[in-house]
Amino acid sequence: MAYLSEYQYYINNENWGSYQYVSLQDIVNNFMLMYAGNHSLINNEERYKVLFHAKRAIQELNYDAFKEIKILELSVCDSLRFVLPHDYVNWVRISLYKDGLLRPLTENIQTNYSNAYLQDNNCYILFDQNGGILRPQNSGIDMDRLAGTKKSIYLNQGSPYHGQEGYCIDGSWYFDYNIGDRFGLNTETANFNPTFKIDKKNGVINFSSDMAGELCILEYVSDGMEGGDATAISVNKLFEKYVYAYITYEILSSKLGVQEYIVTRARKEKGALLRNAKIRISNIHPGRLLMNLRGKDKWIK
Amino acid sequence: MINSVRNTVLSILNKNNYGYISPSDFNLFAKQAQLDLFEDYFVGYNTQVNNENLRRAGTGYADMTKGLEEAIDVFSVTNPLANNLLNQFFLPSLTTTGDDYYLINKCLIFLASLDTGTTDGTTGGNNGVVDSTKDFVAAGVAIGDYVVVQIGSEVSLLTVTNVTTTILNVNNNGITTTGNSYAIYKRSAVQYEAEKVSNSKITMLNNSLLTAPTAQFPAYTQESIYLNIYPDTTYDVGQVVLQYIRYPKDPKWTYVSIGAGEPVFDQSQSDYQDFELPIEDETTLVTKILQYAGLSIREAEVVQFARTDEMLDKMPAQPATRTR
Repeated sequence: MAYLSEYQYYINNENWGSYQYVSLQDIVNNFMLMYAGNHSLINNEERYKVLFHAKRAIQELNYDAFKEIKILELSVCDSLRFVLPHDYVNWVRISLYKDGLLRPLTENIQTNYSNAYLQDNNCYILFDQNGGILRPQNSGIDMDRLAGTKKSIYLNQGSPYHGQEGYCIDGSWYFDYNIGDRFGLNTETANFNPTFKIDKKNGVINFSSDMAGELCILEYVSDGMEGGDATAISVNKLFEKYVYAYITYEILSSKLGVQEYIVTRARKEKGALLRNAKIRISNIHPGRLLMNLRGKDKWIK
Repeated sequence: MINSVRNTVLSILNKNNYGYISPSDFNLFAKQAQLDLFEDYFVGYNTQVNNENLRRAGTGYADMTKGLEEAIDVFSVTNPLANNLLNQFFLPSLTTTGDDYYLINKCLIFLASLDTGTTDGTTGGNNGVVDSTKDFVAAGVAIGDYVVVQIGSEVSLLTVTNVTTTILNVNNNGITTTGNSYAIYKRSAVQYEAEKVSNSKITMLNNSLLTAPTAQFPAYTQESIYLNIYPDTTYDVGQVVLQYIRYPKDPKWTYVSIGAGEPVFDQSQSDYQDFELPIEDETTLVTKILQYAGLSIREAEVVQFARTDEMLDKMPAQPATRTR
């Protein structure tokens, strides 16, 4: 494909920033042209194998090395649920957006949702006529959470301390719970914000009841497959050589009769290129370090 | 070259009064010999590539691969395929492309056509794609763009030489009928290369999330006289273009008979066909034909002579020595 003219670049906002990337089409084309053939280590390999390994390389890079975070804002309704995006692979940060501020949320260290089976008075599980287990619409823990009556170990609205009356003696507040019962603060759960727990299998994030009606911002990573649209898949140019090395290694390591020293060489090259690319993309340069180093002048009281 | 080969063969045969071969026999032997040599090119090419990998081949004048490539490329043809149904196309054949194929080298697919239609007229020079329902100028057709026209079962890839509102003049003067399907492709249109996939793999490939064929990475399989393109959507006329190596045309030594019935070479006849092999293969052709002729006239010496000559040809050349 030809380079874009400056006019073509600026006139179409889809082209903005595109020069940072090389397309999957180019990757596969270049590989077949430059690394495969009669006089190359790789010969008589199907293109679909190259395509597969190229996509796998891009997926792996998307998980950590790329640092390309996708961000989605959705409103959390009374269901206290946030359906995971269609291209979600893993989350980076989940925040509550309120009063113009982003408040990072804490993942609940306990569960806040559950499945449930219907049982009779003797606790026997109930079945339908087909032998399937009967299930309620919501489990007890879910019902409490949705009704806002579930207590929380966090210091938010669900906390047992929330709204409790105490005694003010000599300017200090004392609560019944503290007297002889509890000493100090569990800092792990000392957070006022709502909490969440991700139900991966069902593809939703379940929030505590104080998140109802609030805006949630999810930062997450995808696998870069762009919903299967091969034309949209691309990789940062800093990782281009690594992708070629990855494909080479994957093919050589699974090919019959390739000497081990050649496979080892390919593996080492792949590893070295990944380290190199990671360093490059981390953008460590003096301008960035300057602001961090200024922190050394801060007085610690 | 064919007359020269025939004369040499007859000279050798006549030298010792071994006999005579008729023109029709000669044509049969010539066809066999040419096919023999043609297939040897591919075997030789592979051997040469292996030699290169073993560092036993040189470059420049020592580049034997290049010579073989040139010999093979003489038979390289690029033709659009005739569509049978949806994603199924006819493989090249005498009826669809005018020649049989020996080897498919690559299969290209135009991403999209500029316009399609059916002709409803002809031009004086029979070189026009006429469609009174279209405005080719407004559609953006330009000189140099491609038009693929299907006349009967034969599909031709033509180049636009002139554009008017309803007529596209092309570099072919055989469009004598109407009702022919056509499709127009920009010269700069993107083409993607389809990959040959075995029938044993195509189902798994189609079911694979990561590698299922797409418009950018299409695939094809072969089955009987058909070529199936994936993804299996519908395709326009000429959207699938094949570059392949065709079989050489059957050589034919044509003649006229003079008084005594002696055939005299006449290359002006319509069915005349020379050998299509390079000139350097003339000697090999002669020896191969001699082998067949020797078998035919039951002369063991002729066969033996031809075989010895062929073996000597195949032996590696000895370095020339300088003597005083």
